[in-house]
Amino acid sequence: MKKILSIVMVMAVMLISSLTVVKTASAEELKMTGTITKIELAADGKSATAVLKDSKTEASVTITITDDLTLDKFKDKRIVEGDEIRTKYEKSGDTNTSKMFKKTAGC
Amino acid sequence: MSGRIVAIVLGCAMLATTVQAKDHPGKEQILKDGYQGPKTCETCHPGKAREFLGTVHWKHASKVDHVDNINPNEEYGMKNRIYTMCNGNDIVNNLKEVPPNALGKTKFTGCNTCHPGDHTSDVGSTGSEAEQSIDCLICHSFKYDFSKRKAVKTKDGKIVMTQDRSTEAAANIGKPTIKNCMVCHEAAGGGAMIKRGFSMAKEAEVHVSKGIICVDCHQVKNHKFPTGRDPNNWAHDGIYMTCVGECHSAKPHGDAAYNKHTDKIACQTCHIPKTGGAFSKDFTKWEKQANGFYEPSTLKREVNETTPVYSWYNLTVSNTPQFIGPKGSRTDGKSKIYPFKIFQGKAYFNKKDGQLMSMDFAPPIATGDTLAGVASAAKILGIKDYEPVPGWQTIYFGSNHQVTPKNKALNCANCHAVNGVLNFKELGYSIKEVEKLTNPELYFEKLLKQQQENE
Repeated sequence: MKKILSIVMVMAVMLISSLTVVKTASAEELKMTGTITKIELAADGKSATAVLKDSKTEASVTITITDDLTLDKFKDKRIVEGDEIRTKYEKSGDTNTSKMFKKTAGC
Repeated sequence: MSGRIVAIVLGCAMLATTVQAKDHPGKEQILKDGYQGPKTCETCHPGKAREFLGTVHWKHASKVDHVDNINPNEEYGMKNRIYTMCNGNDIVNNLKEVPPNALGKTKFTGCNTCHPGDHTSDVGSTGSEAEQSIDCLICHSFKYDFSKRKAVKTKDGKIVMTQDRSTEAAANIGKPTIKNCMVCHEAAGGGAMIKRGFSMAKEAEVHVSKGIICVDCHQVKNHKFPTGRDPNNWAHDGIYMTCVGECHSAKPHGDAAYNKHTDKIACQTCHIPKTGGAFSKDFTKWEKQANGFYEPSTLKREVNETTPVYSWYNLTVSNTPQFIGPKGSRTDGKSKIYPFKIFQGKAYFNKKDGQLMSMDFAPPIATGDTLAGVASAAKILGIKDYEPVPGWQTIYFGSNHQVTPKNKALNCANCHAVNGVLNFKELGYSIKEVEKLTNPELYFEKLLKQQQENE
């Protein structure tokens, strides 16, 4: 009985582990260059969403930004609507979370 | 940390807070009268606009006396230098509108985009019109609306940089914050943190984490900025700075063994173990972007991904078309070991005289045609006799920012273990000396004790 219980427990652990891996693997990292058509800062200032029009496909993609450096750039308008952005983001379900969000222009 | 340093750090932290919290004297007057540019500032600070026109921030150049193969009577800087991190300068890449690309899109670009004038009064300009064109607030305002600073074409075809001269921006002023500095200094070299590859976020820089800001170390006198001695940063305001001064003594460690190193090892060597940014670029081959414009091919890393190389440096610079980097040796009595980011860039050299050529970026941005960029730059510079051939240049960038907390600085074993970061042989030590320098006897007891304390 103890042996069967052990096997069942091991299988349960394996199942949970594999589900976790599947969930992690489902978060896909994508990159794009696009023009900002809309920026919305959250009321608490701790996050924002930016809608980018993909330069290649012209599709609109909404990206959530949470890093302080980029949020600060939204607040003092170093990044504004109309700016062209190069971004890497993680797509998980319907949410695209920014991993990098930089203006394409240097000097 | 000594009591004095604690007091200075606390003072800086309080000042940093106070700078933004306390109103600048004259705020009421500015709110009442509005802001009319530098002449408003000069009501209380007479002569400051004229003074600023004589600085590197305005001239983008100065006389240079520590670099090989240049004319000591000429001025050098981003105004006119040619090297492969940028391959252009304010002259050949003067702010302009790029020709339409294949998609019909155009944009403004230029090395002097960050010049704090309005472009009508440009790099190195003088006179009252230049004085009144200074964008004082981009450095001094906490509420600068950066969307108001952009290149626009006037009806008569001139390209002008607009400024935020709002009363709100003018009423919220003081010493420059980190943001005021980094808005230009992080964007150099073709994008955010590309050129020097350091971050001034509090997570990345121990001074910033303690509330210290750029101008606490770069203590400005009459708009002249003290600078360090990066081999690739030539222009200066005539004032140099080091870590040793108000905050740190020449023997700053509690541990005498570490203090023994400071005559020969620069502070940065142990305290800046990583930087990042671009480490190689190819200006002869531009990549097409999704927006239809082209950019130079660039290999880059995040700000904490590049391990420096270490060289002796006596604060003078070797400068040839193929190499810009530190001079010095173990035996010259002047050198210390410093950390550097090595950058290698490919661009066109003139086969006729061996000199590196510069590039006007407008043609290759639009079409990818790099030789058209070289031809345009040659025309601007009046060079007629040339034959462009691709070649590489190596540049040593000083690692002078992104100081790590002391518990993450290099310790004895990081250098003295056999696989340590210092290549003693290349630094000029004999095989016997290297054996001594990499003997665990040097560090074993000390590190074992530290390890036991931490366990």
